[in-house]
Amino acid sequence: MGTELEWISRSVPRIGALERLRGMPIFGADIQLEDCLVLRVFRSHRPHAKIMELDVEEARKLRGVEGVFTARDIPGKNLMGLITKDQPLLAQDRVRFVGDPVALVAARDEESAQRGLEAIRVRYQELPSIFSPEEALAEGAVAIHDKGNLLHRRVVRKGDAASAMERAAVVVERTYRTPHIEHTYLEPDAGVGYREWDGTLVILASTQNPHYDQKEVAGLLGLQEEKVRVIQAATGGGFGSKLDLTVQGFIGLALYHLGRPVRLVFTREEAYLATPKRHPLTIWMRTGADSKGKLLALQARIVCDTGAYSSYGVAVATRAAIHATGPYEVENVEVESLAVYTNNPIAGAMRGFGVPQVAFAHESQMDLLAQELGMDPLQIRLRNAFQEGSSTATGQKLGSSVGILECLEALEPHYREAVSSWKGSGGSRYLRRGVGLGAMWYGIGNTGVQNPSTARVELDDDGRVTLYIGAADMGQGSTTVLAQIAAQVLGMQPERLRLVVADTARTSNAGASSASRQTYISGNAVLEACAKLAQVLLTEASDMLRAPKHTLLLKGEGVADSTDPQRSVSFMELAQRARKKNIPLSWQGYFDPETTPLDPETGQGIPYATYAFACQMAQVEVDVLTGRVRVRRVAAAHDVGRAVHPEAVKGQILGGVAMGLGFALMEEFVPGSTVSMKDYHIPTAADMPEVVPIIVEAPEPTGPFGAKGVGEPALIPTAPAILNAIADALGERIYQLPANLERVLEACIRAGHFPSMEVK
Amino acid sequence: MEWEEQESPAPIGVRFRLNGREVALEVSPGESLLYLLRERLGLRGTKEGCGIGECGACTVVVDGKAANACLMMAAQLDGREVLTVEGLESPVGLHPLQEAFLEHHAVQCGFCTPGMLMSSYALLSCNPKPTRDQIVEALAGNLCRCTGYEQVLEAVEAAARRLANGRGR
Repeated sequence: MGTELEWISRSVPRIGALERLRGMPIFGADIQLEDCLVLRVFRSHRPHAKIMELDVEEARKLRGVEGVFTARDIPGKNLMGLITKDQPLLAQDRVRFVGDPVALVAARDEESAQRGLEAIRVRYQELPSIFSPEEALAEGAVAIHDKGNLLHRRVVRKGDAASAMERAAVVVERTYRTPHIEHTYLEPDAGVGYREWDGTLVILASTQNPHYDQKEVAGLLGLQEEKVRVIQAATGGGFGSKLDLTVQGFIGLALYHLGRPVRLVFTREEAYLATPKRHPLTIWMRTGADSKGKLLALQARIVCDTGAYSSYGVAVATRAAIHATGPYEVENVEVESLAVYTNNPIAGAMRGFGVPQVAFAHESQMDLLAQELGMDPLQIRLRNAFQEGSSTATGQKLGSSVGILECLEALEPHYREAVSSWKGSGGSRYLRRGVGLGAMWYGIGNTGVQNPSTARVELDDDGRVTLYIGAADMGQGSTTVLAQIAAQVLGMQPERLRLVVADTARTSNAGASSASRQTYISGNAVLEACAKLAQVLLTEASDMLRAPKHTLLLKGEGVADSTDPQRSVSFMELAQRARKKNIPLSWQGYFDPETTPLDPETGQGIPYATYAFACQMAQVEVDVLTGRVRVRRVAAAHDVGRAVHPEAVKGQILGGVAMGLGFALMEEFVPGSTVSMKDYHIPTAADMPEVVPIIVEAPEPTGPFGAKGVGEPALIPTAPAILNAIADALGERIYQLPANLERVLEACIRAGHFPSMEVK
Repeated sequence: MEWEEQESPAPIGVRFRLNGREVALEVSPGESLLYLLRERLGLRGTKEGCGIGECGACTVVVDGKAANACLMMAAQLDGREVLTVEGLESPVGLHPLQEAFLEHHAVQCGFCTPGMLMSSYALLSCNPKPTRDQIVEALAGNLCRCTGYEQVLEAVEAAARRLANGRGR
């Protein structure tokens, strides 16, 4: 390894960009297979009902229909779910939400498939439907699942919050609410499948986790895992929704029975109806501080509406509880977080896993405390921010790479300028300006469980290096970053690497592309695999060049003597020499972050090996006559450990701010009435403010070249910053997202900014 | 129940230019331009994100103007000139817009990319030196969930400069 980092902190061309710019047919819906059948899913129109009778015989007889399948046709175990297996692929005897799949139609074309759907007859017996966690937890409520309506309860308890609260000089207590959010990745879920000559079912699909898909589909079909091969098709965004099975199980089932190529492409309406949403949370929070603004105690009760099936509900409730303090040291903490079944759409993973919701609460609380104490919002954050050696709510001592203070300090000049000069320099009585801060922390990787990644690198006799990575790239750029890490270790150009990505037959398990974990975890696996190969190459070169290893450098697909660069030997020569000696040239890397499980009673433990930190500042203008909020500028400081690809990090921050702006101001998925993109608005180019990304690098010693992650952190601070800015502008606070026109106008009226009109 | 053959409506003959080539074929009255491009002509660079003209992923250029291929009927094509993402690249290489998107890291998942390129192309062909606001306006109908748009806007600005300096077509 050279001392200078040639390929790290460098924005190389993104792998895969060229194919996309040329419009090549790489996405699931683009893939053409000969003689391909069309699949369509028959879904429940009832939120909660028993299936008394399901008649698909008429549909089966239709011309053009090649098969109609129900739960009875599932040869394996009709249950799926990443954490808790509670969801059937096709309803067994009961439907639990509008959109629950009941039957699958395979037909020669779309029209025949449509006729097939229309010929299916179901007789339901209605069950009481539950649309809120409160109803679900009420005594006598109908049980949506056999084990009851409480999916998960997570407690995080440290110190004595109740008595510490009594010592507090100020206490603020509020309730915050967030809505269902639809991921609205641009590519509706899609995939195709075919049967290989040896019977293997091959599924190419839009996904964030091919190895999980493989296991799940094999389980549904009662097949050995190697009989199912999942290859990630180009994936047009995921943001957590494509972690659950979407099309894969249906494609597998049809392939199993028909053996012919099939395709399933969701319409946008189907993607909205059927796929998981961000959990709506109700967060009651009480925070106490001393007269100097030092946080003394935090109590919270968090209720997450997990909808009809569990998906990632357990993870969301847990993460929300762990992160409820925000990036601040609080000695006394008492948090209870519940995930509750309802007959609403499934809520699952979405960028941030519950942390964006709790960040809205803890950051509003920080500003409320500052206001009570007459303190500056930045000051109260600086006073409480984690530092090296701080203890988190779960009792974890933060060792290093704690960049929250650096983020706050990086923002300080922007914040001072905005408050002292921008705020007073414009606006008017009816156009009020405000400045707000939002900070966050985010644990990298899955919570308190093993979540290893693996990778492999191989040198062939021609001197070509192939990198095998299981990690799915949905657009965030993991493939490019992992290739950069390999290139750095092997001293070669990333574009010279042959890449095999996210194919269960050729790559080993890297775990999900979620939890901002691939750069840190798969990055380490790639690093380890490549370091092993590098050692072999150095050893062989040392022999051939008769030079000590420490003078040798990997460079330009060869090894050179740094004391005499003329003397070098190519990868090809080294490969051939090693091969003759039976020294392996294929090496596996493995990394699992050091965590400990959380204590079930107290939530104490080490849930994550490292954390990302961030703070953003928003400058807004509120039109008090219309309720319209224009975000003028966002400065976003993010501690990513090390930006392996700075432009990709910026891309994550810019995209995260856009998604956070939508969460703050406009997005709300209303089950039953949000049907298509007409009803659900995400930010357009015209909604975007000027965004100033600020990359902070507090290197993580266990990260590859110091890197942590940024995917989810990018979004988390935005809504809190915007909501705090609106409160600053109006002197009146909004406690429910989104802060849409109606809610902002209400706040304007409450604050007395709306001119009162005399009715004559 | 007997399934009855529906009488299919009379096909309509259209003749138009597609990516510089003359095309003549028959289309059905209900057929969208998007369906024609993707399913019948195999041009799958044009994407379907919503099917109702909200997302802009299917944007193509028709007679120099950006159009949602999902909302335009194939039968409307007669005598027109259509450009899709597949027609951007020339024998000498990538179009300056494609180059600029690559250099400015304007591609993440890439599903909105073809539509973004085509809206930008339509803008630059009628307004070679657009302001930032004009670019924003031209791209406001193209949704992107990944990039937050900034790197896309920078890429369009860079491509405009490059085209003004005589690089490209």
